[in-house]
Amino acid sequence: MQLYSPMSTTPKRKAFRAPPLASLEGLRIGLLENGKLNADEMLREVAALFVERHGCTIRTVASKRNASAPAPSATLTQVAQEVDFLITGLGD
Amino acid sequence: MAVAAKPRIHEVPDDLLAAIDWCYEQGWTDGLPVVPPVVDRVDAMLAAEARPREMVIAHHPATGLDLSLHAAAVNAVMAGCLPEYFPVIVAAFEAMDRTDFNFHGSTASTGGSAPLLVVSGPYAEEIGMNADVNLFGPGNRANGTIGRATRLILRNVFQMLPGISDKSTQGNPGKYSFCIAERARGNPWPLLCEAQGYDKGASSVTCFAGGGFFNVENHGGNTPEEVLGSVADSMANYGCISLGQSVVILAPEHMKIVTDAGWSREKVQEFLFVAARRSVEGMKSAGKYRDREYDTQHGEGAHALAMEGFMHRGLRPDDILVTMGGGDAGGHSCFIPSWSRGRTSIMQHQAITPPPAGIPK
Repeated sequence: MQLYSPMSTTPKRKAFRAPPLASLEGLRIGLLENGKLNADEMLREVAALFVERHGCTIRTVASKRNASAPAPSATLTQVAQEVDFLITGLGD
Repeated sequence: MAVAAKPRIHEVPDDLLAAIDWCYEQGWTDGLPVVPPVVDRVDAMLAAEARPREMVIAHHPATGLDLSLHAAAVNAVMAGCLPEYFPVIVAAFEAMDRTDFNFHGSTASTGGSAPLLVVSGPYAEEIGMNADVNLFGPGNRANGTIGRATRLILRNVFQMLPGISDKSTQGNPGKYSFCIAERARGNPWPLLCEAQGYDKGASSVTCFAGGGFFNVENHGGNTPEEVLGSVADSMANYGCISLGQSVVILAPEHMKIVTDAGWSREKVQEFLFVAARRSVEGMKSAGKYRDREYDTQHGEGAHALAMEGFMHRGLRPDDILVTMGGGDAGGHSCFIPSWSRGRTSIMQHQAITPPPAGIPK
């Protein structure tokens, strides 16, 4: 008996981790909040720890208009040019 | 035209029951047995579609995975579909592929969304769909297996796996199957497919990321205001009131009360929009008030019926899909809320293209 696979034939997308940062001292932080309740507040609290402990600066706060959709590539491209690392997470 | 790679074929022993177990072992099921997708059955399913099997009809933005006509047909066979059901599944995925439906959110969210399919027009009857008693099941092969195929595609093709990529907190019975036909018999209003602007004789499927099922019982109401007031109360409950859209399926008994009084679909939508509301104070008392949402509803472009000091369900009356379905007896309508608490998933509709060789008799 021959059975077809019910799965997609799309090749698996390759994903790569960004190289680890050598140091956090004085780096520029970007925040990407998902627009849900408390998301902005939570991310700012987290960022404040980096500011306090490592002298980081908050350079960019980006907001997703749609919490449940991937961030627009234009947003990520822009933020990537302005910051050294990005903090994001789910607010709700 | 996006084209998928060549599909994979598995050789398994010629033992049907063993093949069913083998499908379980592959993780290809929704928990219920599937029809093993043998090559001949898949090919027969694809005969209901004129375009090449490699054609991609939908894309999942987060996983990057594509749905080809071939993969849709494999899952339709597994769900138990007949070939004449396949055009409904294809149309549904073409509709849901639009950005505004938000495939990723509606399949991955803790909210437990299940795609509700509402088939409207003559094609529903031609393939034997049920629009009558036991509308939401069980008992009808077309309704049951079209909805199931939709879910199997989300699972097997887009890999939205419960507990891994589908993070629904409590799930939803509609995640097995959630598909109905609009009742044409005795329906005093234009069918949805007509209201959607399709040509006479055409049929459509409307797809809605549904969040659950509320039975609205009312056996005492004898006016539109009484009957629809109870529907609106369900729509405005603190557990689900939001800026999201709604589906309301009126039972024939309720529809008769409404239309005997001369109410059109538009009048019903306006009544429900106005009545399905909560005060700002009430919303605050339930911890569900947000300035941003209030401003969205009452700011620039607000609908004229939006009342100051209140949150309505949805943004405007035509956010509420209303039609008739179910058996003749019983004062049981239903309301299905959107999964989306805001505007992150908007219902979509698409014309159904019948099989090129017609429906087998």
